[in-house]
Amino acid sequence: MQCAQLELRQPDGFVLGPLSLQLKAGKLYGLLGANGAGKSTLLQLLAGLKKPDSGEITLMQQPLQAYSATARARQLAFLSQQQAPSEMTVRQLLQLGLLPHKALWQRDNQIDRDYIQRVLLETGISQQADTLLSHLSGGEQQRAHLARVLVQQAQLLLLDEPVNHLDIRYQHQLLATLRRSRLCVLASFHDINLAATYCDELILLQQGQLIAAGAPGQVLQPELLQQVFGRPCLVDQSPFTGSCRVTFAPEPI
Amino acid sequence: MTNTLRLLCGLALLAASLLAALHIGAVDVSLYALLQGQAGDALQAEIFWQLRLPRVLLAGLAGAALAVCGALLQLLSRNALADPYLFGVVSGAALGATISSLWLPALALPVAAFAGAVFAILLVLALAQRAARQGMQSISTLLLTGLAVSFFCSAVASLLLYQADSFAANRIMFWLMGSLSRADWPAVQLLSITLAITLTVCAVGRRQLAALNWSDDMAKSLGVAVQRWRLVLLLLCALLTAVVVAYCGGIGFVGLMIPHLVRLLVGNQVVPLLFGSTLCGAIFLIWVDSAARTVLAPQELPLGILTALCGSLFFLLLLSRRSTDEY
Repeated sequence: MQCAQLELRQPDGFVLGPLSLQLKAGKLYGLLGANGAGKSTLLQLLAGLKKPDSGEITLMQQPLQAYSATARARQLAFLSQQQAPSEMTVRQLLQLGLLPHKALWQRDNQIDRDYIQRVLLETGISQQADTLLSHLSGGEQQRAHLARVLVQQAQLLLLDEPVNHLDIRYQHQLLATLRRSRLCVLASFHDINLAATYCDELILLQQGQLIAAGAPGQVLQPELLQQVFGRPCLVDQSPFTGSCRVTFAPEPI
Repeated sequence: MTNTLRLLCGLALLAASLLAALHIGAVDVSLYALLQGQAGDALQAEIFWQLRLPRVLLAGLAGAALAVCGALLQLLSRNALADPYLFGVVSGAALGATISSLWLPALALPVAAFAGAVFAILLVLALAQRAARQGMQSISTLLLTGLAVSFFCSAVASLLLYQADSFAANRIMFWLMGSLSRADWPAVQLLSITLAITLTVCAVGRRQLAALNWSDDMAKSLGVAVQRWRLVLLLLCALLTAVVVAYCGGIGFVGLMIPHLVRLLVGNQVVPLLFGSTLCGAIFLIWVDSAARTVLAPQELPLGILTALCGSLFFLLLLSRRSTDEY
């Protein structure tokens, strides 16, 4: 996926871009930035949920607008940040993920059911498969939504805060699963260190502008981070993986 | 209890209700004797085939149509208080009926009411589409536009009736309170065709409906053509309600109450909710109409009064039960 000179002006005065970026197959990209930097807006633009005022998005050398809604949903899955809970079981939510692959009159068959069962096991929510979503904790709901995104079988995943609400254990499990899947993933993060550990490349946004993009070692510069997040910080290496580790200076009390 | 079992129970109950309702009425008609071809006299057979049978069928169809519209609109608008009368259908129909009975007596009441209902619906949809294009939330805009158009139409209708003679006013008032006394075979045919089309579209688009019930973004990212589906489903609902209102007048609360009742039984899943509402709505209105025909026989009670009574009491009961559950 590629986008060039993408720009969106919102009625409230917020301007995203113009920015250009390229997402390559099989890589995990982390989107970083302070609150209101435009992370969610950028993801919604790339997912085709919002129309840019100018610029072009291409998906596999074809303009995104040229895709029909269904064809787009087969290539690209999107996970939004807030999901109002609905009276639906986890399994029923996952079945919705098959929507772009099904003709109107088609019923779910045994292959679909087996596939959904496999995704349920992979994401660790097979125990709750037949529980109503509204009866699950925030973390379990989040895992159910991620499972739905995986069921959609898209090559490109756009995830808004996928590890939000998740326990530490599941945060790591999920990102490792995404890494192993060899899909192209663009996910926004609040936890910089988590992003630095698992992502191939990081993209840093500030007030709708792209400030830096590249390998974690290039992007995570102390001066840059201080400028974006407003706190002095220290960048060293994680004792486990050797990846970048950022520690922000505390506010004096 | 599985949904299949519930469906069978519902169908059995519907069949029993139909049979029972066919026996209830001012004139005793023996169904058995009729089917044996040995009815006592031709008048009995005439009453049965031309009056009672179409009336009972129309009651079932109207109840099913209103309930399924209510359920569909609640799914689409993600609002538990949505109701088929939301588009100003009833007040639009009332306006049409008023205009025709004052100035165009040649025009049949159902035709005029239908024209009025369609006018109101198209006005609401056009205004809501225009507002949505300017970036407003399409669902809440739709609800508010429906409310405004509804008040506008009933204000104009009231003004006209206020000026008119009391005979015309009475006629419109009685029609507005709802009655199935106009039931005939063309009405049954028209309504069953419209209902069948709506149910087929819902069954075919069950996944799209489930996605729309989540959120527009969810539906869009799953590849649902959100605007197109919503427009088709809203138009079908509107058409179905317009047909019901044109023939039967205002029958309130069915579209609001039945889906809530069904939701308590089967949850908020698209297919069980819509088809459960169809069955329950049919059974409910068949019984209410039987009561309307017999309670004050030979006089008829307006249907809308009975449904509103049942509906409001049911809601108060539901609310009081819910509040004891929660606190």
